[in-house]
Amino acid sequence: MELSTSQQDTLTELINIGYARAAGALSDLTGHRITLAVPEVAIHEIEKITPLLQEVIDGEITSVNQFFGGSITGNAILLLDKSAALLLNRLLTDRPQAGTLDESAREVIIEVGNIVLNACLGVFGNLLQVQMSFSVPHLQVDDVEHIMRSIRIQDQTFRYAMMIHTRFHLRASDVSGYLVIILGMTSLERVLVELRRWEERELG
Amino acid sequence: MNRAQEANAQLQAATLEWIDRSAPYGVIATDRDLQVCSWNHWMERHSGLEAKDVLGRKLTELIPDLEERRLMPQLQRALEGEVNVVSTALHGWFIPLTPVAHGVDFPFMKQTARISPLMTRNQIHGVIIVIEDVSQREWQSQILARQHARDEILAWALAHLIEAEDPRRITREVFCKVAEHLDFEAYLLHLYEPENRMFSLHSAGGMEPEHEELIRTFSTRVIPWFSEMKEGLVLLRENVQSSTDPLFENARKFGFHAYVVIPLVAGSTLLGLLCFATRTRETITPGETDLLRTIGQYLAVALNREKIDRELRVAQEKLNEHAHELEQKVADRTASLKQIIAELQTFSYTIAHDLRAPIRALKGYCEVLVEDYTDHLPAEAIAIVSRLRNSSVQMDALTRDLLEFSKVSRQDLTVGALDLSQVVTDTIALGGARLAACVTVQDPLHSVLANRTLVVQCVSNLLQNSVKFCKPGIDPAVKIWSELVQPNARSGETDTGEFSRSRYAISEPGSQGDTDSNAPRVRLWFEDNGIGISREAQGKVFGIFERGDRAGEYEGTGIGLAIVSRAMERMGGRCGVQSTPGDGRRFWLEFRGIASTP
Repeated sequence: MELSTSQQDTLTELINIGYARAAGALSDLTGHRITLAVPEVAIHEIEKITPLLQEVIDGEITSVNQFFGGSITGNAILLLDKSAALLLNRLLTDRPQAGTLDESAREVIIEVGNIVLNACLGVFGNLLQVQMSFSVPHLQVDDVEHIMRSIRIQDQTFRYAMMIHTRFHLRASDVSGYLVIILGMTSLERVLVELRRWEERELG
Repeated sequence: MNRAQEANAQLQAATLEWIDRSAPYGVIATDRDLQVCSWNHWMERHSGLEAKDVLGRKLTELIPDLEERRLMPQLQRALEGEVNVVSTALHGWFIPLTPVAHGVDFPFMKQTARISPLMTRNQIHGVIIVIEDVSQREWQSQILARQHARDEILAWALAHLIEAEDPRRITREVFCKVAEHLDFEAYLLHLYEPENRMFSLHSAGGMEPEHEELIRTFSTRVIPWFSEMKEGLVLLRENVQSSTDPLFENARKFGFHAYVVIPLVAGSTLLGLLCFATRTRETITPGETDLLRTIGQYLAVALNREKIDRELRVAQEKLNEHAHELEQKVADRTASLKQIIAELQTFSYTIAHDLRAPIRALKGYCEVLVEDYTDHLPAEAIAIVSRLRNSSVQMDALTRDLLEFSKVSRQDLTVGALDLSQVVTDTIALGGARLAACVTVQDPLHSVLANRTLVVQCVSNLLQNSVKFCKPGIDPAVKIWSELVQPNARSGETDTGEFSRSRYAISEPGSQGDTDSNAPRVRLWFEDNGIGISREAQGKVFGIFERGDRAGEYEGTGIGLAIVSRAMERMGGRCGVQSTPGDGRRFWLEFRGIASTP
């Protein structure tokens, strides 16, 4: 599914608002100035998302996964490749870099992922003016294909995926990852309708 | 309420009861004002506060540093409907509780918390905080991380010590890093000098210069445990500052609280002592001691290897020096031999030259006596004079040949491209019609690098030799041809009759010694139908005054082939012979070829 330029701009702007909140929360948490940027937003059919993700992020992936429900339902996932996850953990905790994520580091990634996912999903909650409910986030380390497959198995009604390229900037380093929001047909339509309304409101 | 609803309500009550009484994690629920409305048994047990004392109190009152530890935003966000994770790595704990896990040395229980909104139908009533004790996991992880760091420092130190050409030079860098990683403030490395039974300070870190001076050198006598340390005993001293033992006076002066001394032993050789000290800790763990002992072993191996290398280097240098001396001796003796040979050659030339005139006079007078005084002398006297004349003829030939040989050896030599066909044809022509009649040349012959005069001399000598040693009653016949010889085939030379160079031969510049071993070689062959030479004689015929086994039957001086050999040698060539007695001989002359040879 192709988003129009204006839809894409609106969506990027909205997500940036959410990310500014997440960046503020992360900065408060760690005492380091952290910024979050959205270089790219796109919507794809769910069948296409796995190969597209494989093109940009490969190998062993650390994913933070959170279900959300309410007026719209879906699944939000933050995907980081191995080096990004290790670097993010090191930058946030100052612990020496190890070759693998230990339990403590996994929790840090969950906490950070949770903040980013919440901020992003909060944007949709505000847009739709509904109260959304969230599951406790969980972490999965696997390749892209298996991560995406496990999500599809959970709910066959998921049809579309919003792919948000996300870049953390902290302590003079960039950490790049992808946030993917998976939605059913109805949920996506509701989002797009609300998006247009917001656009109209904002542009007067 | 129908039965199903009742059953459901009971089930929910039981679930809550389990969470409250038995759950293996802490559960705190609050209202929207963060006033505690649920405090489960786990919380009671670990906080020491009973539910009745806590319920209704504000969370910020129970945990006053929530704001300071940046935990309020999570609670606020939960009140807005979001689920939050509080990781132990970023926060340590949610609520300060005493750790209960055995052997864990944290001030507070390490916790991971999840803070979620308490919701019904889109309405948020408060928050629920679920707390998990992760102290043991974190403790284990710290131990593992420490172990990992130690393994890394060990591997790093090992790699540095093994790679270093001179491990003594890098010890400072290695040990400063080791001390820093293992939380030691000072290190000392003393090397042992067995010849005077002393230790001398090689390097130190974290020491005042005046303190280093105090222990710059010391004798083995000041160490009561020297013999045990020589066997590898590690010395561990703790609580040094509180000790009154005079042995630790220096250590106390240096501010050491605990230290460990590791003897550096390779095989059964003591190489030195390595000491690490702490000024902040009273004890050193067995793990640390083991690690330092391992590093000490690495250092000992590296030092020992360096010592062996050094000894090998010295031995190698001595050997090289000796070889150089030998080479010098050989060069000196060669030069002196060359000098002697040159003098001998001059001497023999002078003798031959000076003898020629008296011999000719002798021969002339004998001829006068025989021709003019035959009638006046008795027959016996005539016979004596005849023998005298023959001897003088023989002596004349001998001195002539000797002069020739000397000339070949002494004359200045220029070597250039030479067409063998031309030289051979000219030489045969010089020998007269009789010689020409018995020689067949298989033209064309190759071109070679040689000196024309010497080649003429060689060809002439070989032809005369072949004509001379013919079988009685059979006309001599000599066949001449040339062929290319592969340079690398020379080492496989199997010609039995090849002339072994004279035992007096010394290689000269421009001779075989400095020719290009890959340049083509040309052999010029002379095959005759004469009497042949026995296998034993084949090795000698090219020596001066050496003659074939049947030479007595033929006239000659025994110098002709020696001239050939010497001439070939001087042109950087060789010569040889193959023969079966009674079946002729095949002489060969081997020249340096030139690229344009046919």
